[in-house]
Amino acid sequence: MLAAPDGLVLEAESRIGRALVARRWRLANGLGVIVVVDRAAPIVSYQTWYRVGSRHEQPGKTGLAHLFEHLMFAQTETLAPGEFDRVVERTGGESNAATWVDWTQYRLSLPAAELALAVRLESERMSRLLLTAATVEPERDVVTNERRERVEDDVDGWLDEQLMSIAFDVHPYRWPTIGWMADIRSVTLDDIRAFYRSWYAPNNATLVVAGDVDELALLAMVRDAYGALPAVELPPGPTTVEPPQTAERVKRARRPIASDRVLCGWKVVGQGHPDWAALELLTTLLAGSPSSRLHRRLVIELELASSVDVQLTPFRDPSLLRVAVTCARGHRAEESLAEIDRVIGELADGGADDAEVQKAKNLTETDFWSALVDVDGKAEALGHHETALGDFRTLGELAERLAAVTAADLRRVVREYLVPRTRTVIVAEPDGSEPADGDGGDGDGDGDGDDDADGDGDDDADGDGDDGGHRGDQG
Amino acid sequence: MSAEVHVAPSADAPLVWIEVAIRGGAAADPFGLEGLHRHAALLARRGAGGRDRAAFDDALDRMGAAIDVGVGRDSTTMSAVTLTRNLDDVVALCADVLAAPGFAEVEHERLRRETPQVLDEIRDDDGSLVTRWFDRECAPGHAYGRTSLGTEASLPRLELALARETWRREVVPDNLVIGVAGDVDEARARSIAARLTERLATGPAPTPPEVGGSDPTAGRRVVLVDKAERTQAQLRLGHLGPRFGDPDTAALVLLETGFGGMFSSRLMQEIRVRRGWSYGAGCVLRRSRGRHWLEIWMATGIDVAGDAVKTTLELYADVAARGLDAEETALARSYVVGSMPFHNATARQRMQLAVRDAVYGLPAGYTAGLPAHVAELGPTDVARAAARWLRPDAVVTVAVATAATARVALEGAGAGPVSVVAHDGY
Repeated sequence: MLAAPDGLVLEAESRIGRALVARRWRLANGLGVIVVVDRAAPIVSYQTWYRVGSRHEQPGKTGLAHLFEHLMFAQTETLAPGEFDRVVERTGGESNAATWVDWTQYRLSLPAAELALAVRLESERMSRLLLTAATVEPERDVVTNERRERVEDDVDGWLDEQLMSIAFDVHPYRWPTIGWMADIRSVTLDDIRAFYRSWYAPNNATLVVAGDVDELALLAMVRDAYGALPAVELPPGPTTVEPPQTAERVKRARRPIASDRVLCGWKVVGQGHPDWAALELLTTLLAGSPSSRLHRRLVIELELASSVDVQLTPFRDPSLLRVAVTCARGHRAEESLAEIDRVIGELADGGADDAEVQKAKNLTETDFWSALVDVDGKAEALGHHETALGDFRTLGELAERLAAVTAADLRRVVREYLVPRTRTVIVAEPDGSEPADGDGGDGDGDGDGDDDADGDGDDDADGDGDDGGHRGDQG
Repeated sequence: MSAEVHVAPSADAPLVWIEVAIRGGAAADPFGLEGLHRHAALLARRGAGGRDRAAFDDALDRMGAAIDVGVGRDSTTMSAVTLTRNLDDVVALCADVLAAPGFAEVEHERLRRETPQVLDEIRDDDGSLVTRWFDRECAPGHAYGRTSLGTEASLPRLELALARETWRREVVPDNLVIGVAGDVDEARARSIAARLTERLATGPAPTPPEVGGSDPTAGRRVVLVDKAERTQAQLRLGHLGPRFGDPDTAALVLLETGFGGMFSSRLMQEIRVRRGWSYGAGCVLRRSRGRHWLEIWMATGIDVAGDAVKTTLELYADVAARGLDAEETALARSYVVGSMPFHNATARQRMQLAVRDAVYGLPAGYTAGLPAHVAELGPTDVARAAARWLRPDAVVTVAVATAATARVALEGAGAGPVSVVAHDGY
């Protein structure tokens, strides 16, 4: 057990990986600091996780958390415009960020010898960011282009946005992390400044540092740089509870695509719920490998689809188990949906045998370890669990929870959650194709050909909520 | 001779990664038979060692392992990951894929039906679509312009016997580069490599395909890939560049970084930060065994696509004429030198770098050693390499956009004559 440096309290520790230990420390102003000493390479991942995401926004001001994330790279009291990136890149390091429904995360990957730089940069912008029209307006244009690229011109982004906006009636998960285009364009400088003052404070953040560091020296640096930052009174977080869905919801629309696309989602529990582990194994069993049930049935045996993917969105509040299908040439969405129902029915009636459950556990174990191979992965996993679920130790507990799942558990969650009344189905059909449902409409019932069921112009880019960062990396 | 083997041990996690690169790849597809190497590799993975596809998948998945095959320009690659406790059984399955693939007729026919649907998915994704078209148009006739997936015309010509023969001819020890990383020691990794090759027929490695290419000819042109309902133009601009490993590589890596390889680089600053035209903008010197593209990428609103192309061409002409200034060079140099620890931080990364260098025909440690060369270069070296390789007069621009709204803007961009093609025409 390490002795706590002055001004810091050791709150918790947990093993991560084969031989590493993660510890959570806390400053008097509320800042959490999770440290993993990993000397595999002379680098460090320095991540700052704020407990604010798109769920903390208000209708009419969607996309604010994400737009703000972009502005965090602009200018501070001591850093001129562009200087943040220049000083990071001068070291060979990288900076990026991501916004999601439950959190916003900033990450610096730096040579280990540059740890002091990370502490200086992140503590600076936590409290001394300069927000002016000159920095906001170009970035607003960048975000509108990001939205065009990820949603308007991307069928998968469009499907995700539609699914969330139709599946959720009142919960903030119904609007997209990137925000509705109209809101991105109308949010004001005052809104942005108020958002910063409200949410960016040490008592709403956790630093997660993984890499080749001296833990006590790091903690001393953190204390010196952040210790004087005042805690703020945080606004109350959203408490909206989504009412139970009582009937299946279906929307169809035409898009410039080659074949039908389907995205459907069943309402399931949040990531902290005891049933999460069984649901996670279920996704693997359904489409997590070449021999998985849906892949084998839809893609290989019946050739109804060219791809099928199943994901459990790791949200804090109840979210969705999603199935995405790209239909094969000449096949329609209805054929895949009928087969999905059949496979789910088989699981509900007969369940999976122990061997199939063990297969899913082995596949999940491989994924678990793969995600923790580098320091960025370790920091990201810890930061997500700490921020979305309230305790980084849930990451280590997940392995135990997965190991404890039985065939009976899987059958029970299929019967409990994968029922028609909790499902929302979005179907995109190729422009000019024969309508599968006989009406050929845009699906929102108003016949105007748009895709906006509620008329507010809302959207969620890729369904994983993570907007992908501020840098626009590609190519 | 035998297979070249690279090992990178690490006990950090109970995982082992195996990579087998088979020299050849899409560049070795015969003209008219584009997609052949991909077809052969996927068939090899779909049943081997006396197991049909379902039995093979069951055996592999039961262990929580994965074996994937992929086709690049210069090699076909089989990659595997497994929990250490199942390593021996997974190695046996990998060896079956290499030495005893089933090449079942039923899978051949199924794959012939599947591949056109992958083409559809590419057409549905603008980023993938613009890359497919740019590869075709950048240097017509060059081997790297050949699609690894195939075309509507070539796919029906891919016969089972041809795929089987391609695999048999190319999967010989002398033609393989094997990498093993993770929870193994050197001795066990080498025994794995031996098991992977012990049942292979011996024979000479095939002659690699010609991937030289002549210098670009003067004259700009634009290919506008017409797709309905676009709000953006996905843009690629570029021309044939040098081979990765050319004596000018270090200087060009510096130029690539300073011009379009960082957030602080000139392209990102001018296109995104100053003008807000695109979420991202950058350039890349494609890494391959032979001469490959110098390529610029961005995605702009259609209303500014013409201005963005015009500005980019001006920036490109400037960097071709003058290289980077002293400050840009210093920043790019510092970035390249400092970033190497991130590229070889994990055992898997170190193994993959070594395998890639071998496939490209580079000396061992070439990529890892590049920063040391970069550290010695200055603006004069960059300017000299820019003058030698950058050809702003020969830039090919490919745009995926809606022609009705984008054509006029692109015609006024100074990028050359615009030809319009249907997005599903290739």
